Amino acid sequence: MTEYALILVSTVLVNNFVLVKFLGLCPFMGVSRKLETSTGMALATTFVLTLSSICSYLVNEYLLISLGLEYLRTISFILVIAVVVQFTEMVVHKTSPLLYQVLGIFLPLITTNCAVLGVALLNVQEQHSFMQSAVYGFGAAVGFSMVLILFAALRERILVADVPVAFRGPAIALITAGLMSLAFMGFAGLIKS
Amino acid sequence: MSTPSSPYVHTAGSVTTVMLRVIYALLPGIAAYVWFFGWGVAVNIVFAVVVALVCEAGMLALRGRPLKPFLLDGSAAVTAVLLALALPSLAPWWMTLIGTAFAIIIAKQLYGGLGFNPFNPAMIGYVVLLISFPREMTLWLAPEMVSGHSMGETMSTNPIFGHLGGKGWEWINGLFLLGGLWLIYKKVISWHIPVTVLGSLALMAAVYFLIDRDLYASPLFHLFSGAAILGAFFIATDPVTASTTPRGRLYYGAGIGVFTYIIRTWGGYPDGIAFAVLLMNMAAPMIDYYTRPRVFGHKD
Amino acid sequence: MSDIAYSRIIRDGLWTNNPAFVQILGLCPLLAVSSNVVNGLSLGLATALTLALSNTIVSMVRHWVSDEIRIPVFVLVIACVVTAIELAMNVYLHELYKILGIFIPLIVTNCIVIARAEAFASRNTVTRACADGLFMGLGSMFALVLLGALREAIGQGTLFANAHLMFGDAAKGMTITLVEHYHGFLLAILPPGAFIGLGLLIAIKNMIDARLARRAMATVLVTHEAGWHA
Repeated sequence: MTEYALILVSTVLVNNFVLVKFLGLCPFMGVSRKLETSTGMALATTFVLTLSSICSYLVNEYLLISLGLEYLRTISFILVIAVVVQFTEMVVHKTSPLLYQVLGIFLPLITTNCAVLGVALLNVQEQHSFMQSAVYGFGAAVGFSMVLILFAALRERILVADVPVAFRGPAIALITAGLMSLAFMGFAGLIKS
Repeated sequence: MSTPSSPYVHTAGSVTTVMLRVIYALLPGIAAYVWFFGWGVAVNIVFAVVVALVCEAGMLALRGRPLKPFLLDGSAAVTAVLLALALPSLAPWWMTLIGTAFAIIIAKQLYGGLGFNPFNPAMIGYVVLLISFPREMTLWLAPEMVSGHSMGETMSTNPIFGHLGGKGWEWINGLFLLGGLWLIYKKVISWHIPVTVLGSLALMAAVYFLIDRDLYASPLFHLFSGAAILGAFFIATDPVTASTTPRGRLYYGAGIGVFTYIIRTWGGYPDGIAFAVLLMNMAAPMIDYYTRPRVFGHKD
Repeated sequence: MSDIAYSRIIRDGLWTNNPAFVQILGLCPLLAVSSNVVNGLSLGLATALTLALSNTIVSMVRHWVSDEIRIPVFVLVIACVVTAIELAMNVYLHELYKILGIFIPLIVTNCIVIARAEAFASRNTVTRACADGLFMGLGSMFALVLLGALREAIGQGTLFANAHLMFGDAAKGMTITLVEHYHGFLLAILPPGAFIGLGLLIAIKNMIDARLARRAMATVLVTHEAGWHA
C-alpha cells in the first residue's frame, strides 16, 4: 500500500511529469489559455493515460516479450494509444456531447501527448508490475492535470498584466512555468529513493 | 473565469506608507539579528536594497515608465530586505546580486511591476540561490564566533531560513512576532494569513509530536525556529501574491503551514517556508476562483 | 495551388515559422535534452532526419491515402521511421542512445513531425516536402543547440562537453571551457532553467523581429518621402 502511495507522491509532486520530467508540454502550453478547456482536457487525459498505461503493459508483457518483438515496442505502443484515444472519443461523444464540443480538436491530440507514450515507455524502463503501471499512469495524469489547471488559472491572471511586448504570449508563459517548476523543487528529497 | 479584482493600490503614497510600516516592523528583529550575528546581515541588506533599486530603475527606464513614483513606493526595498534576511551573512556579494536581480527583474518587472507578479519576488530570489549554490547557502557564523569567545565552527545552516532553534534565535523571532502584531494592530495586514499559517503549522506539529515525541519536534519549536514567524507576518501576507478573498486567505495560510511542515520534516531542505509560499502563490488564483463571494441576483 | 518557393521553405523552417520559437511545438525534447550542446545537437539531427524522411514518405503516398485514415497512416509512417533511427543509434551511437533515453522514441509524439506531415507533406510535391521536413528539422535543431549552448555556458561554463560521445574519441579536445574554475550556476541545468531560458530566447527573437520591422518601416517611409519630392 505504501509502495503505491510513494509512486503517487513521486509522480505528482517529486518528479512531476510536466514541471520536472518535461513530458506533456505541448498540451500544457497549448490548452492552458482557458480554464474550462483545461479542466476538460485534464479529465480526458487522465482517462486515456491510465487506460493506455495498463494496455501497453499488457501488450508488452504478453505480446512483445513472449514473441521476442521488443524492437516493435514504439510502433505497438503508439497504436495502442491511438486506439485508446479513439475509444475515449467515442465514450465522450456518447456520454457528454457538450464536453465533446468543448474539447474539439484536443481529444485526438492526446495521441501526440508525449506524456502518454512516455508513461508507457517508462513503465518498461522501470520494470513496473501491472498494479505499479496502473498507479504510475494515474499518478502521472493527476500530476499533469493539477499543474495544467493551476497554470491555466495563472495565465488568466497574467493576461491582464502589464507584460513587456516582447514577452507577451508564449515567452512569459514559459517563464511562469519555470517559476512553477522552481516551486516544485521544494519537493526534492521527499522520497528517499 | 473573470479575474477577481486585485488589491491594486491607487496612489503611490499609500503604497509607500504600507512599505515603510513593514520596514519599521522588521527593525527590532533586524537589530537583534545584528546583535547576535554581527554586521554582515546589515551590509547584505543595504547592498540588496541598492541592487534592487538599480534593477527596478533599469527596467522602468527600458520600458519608458516614470521612475520616481515607482522607485519611491518602497516595494523593491522591502523585497530586498526580506531576501537579505534569508541569506547567510557570509554570502558572497555576487550571490546577493544575482538573487536580488532575479527577484526584481524576472519575478516582478517582467510581469509589469507591482501588482502584477504572481510569485513572491523575494522567495523566488531566495529559492534560485538555494538550488543554484547549495554550498554557499549553508555558510553561517555561530554567535560565539562573532563575539570572539570561542572558535566554534561555522554553523551549517541558516539561522532564519534553515537552522531550527538555537541561540539568539528566539529573541530575533520574538521581536519579529511583536513587529507582526503591530502590523495587524495598524491594520496594515489582516489576521487571517498569519493566524492560519502559524496555526496549521502548530497543529500538524502537535499531531506528530503526540504520535512520537522523540522523532518529531514540538509545535513551539517549529513556531519559533526557521522563518515561520517572519514568513507568516511579512512574506505570506504580500497582498499581490496571496489569496484575496477572506475565506481564500484561510485556505492559503493553512496550505503554507502544511507544506512548511511537510518539507521541514520529510523533505530535503531544512526550512520549507520559501517553497510553501511559492506553492501557495501558484494555487492562489484557483483558491480565489472557488471562494469568490456570490453576488446576489446573478446566476453563477 | 502554385508551388511554394524553396527560399520561402528555408526561411520559414529556420526563422519565420521556426517550430520551437514561433510554433511552440516539440517542447518536450527541446527542454529535456538541451542541458548541453552535444545532447541538443544529436537529438536535433535525429529529429531533422525523421522529419525529412517522414515528410518524404507521406508526400509519396499522399494521393493513395483517403482522408479518414490519414492521421493513423501518418503516425504509423513516423513510428516506423523513428524505430529505424532508434535501432541505428543503439548500434552506432550507443552512449548517446543511453543518455537521450526515451526522448528518441518520443520523437514519434513530437508535435512538429505530425504537424508538418498534415500541414505540408500531404499537400505538396515530394521534393518540396523533403525540403520542408529538412528545414523545419534544422530549425528545431537550431533551437536545441542554441538553448543547449546557453544552458551549458551559464550552467557549467563549457561548450561541447562530452563531444566524444557523438564524434568519437578524437573529439575529446573539442570541449571549449569558457571560464576557468567556473563556479557553475546550477539553475541553468535544472528544469526551471530550461523553461526560463526558452522564454528568454523567444522574447529575444521577438525583439529582433520588432527591430527588423521598424527598420523596414523606416526604409519605406524614407523612400516614400523621396518619392514625393522627386
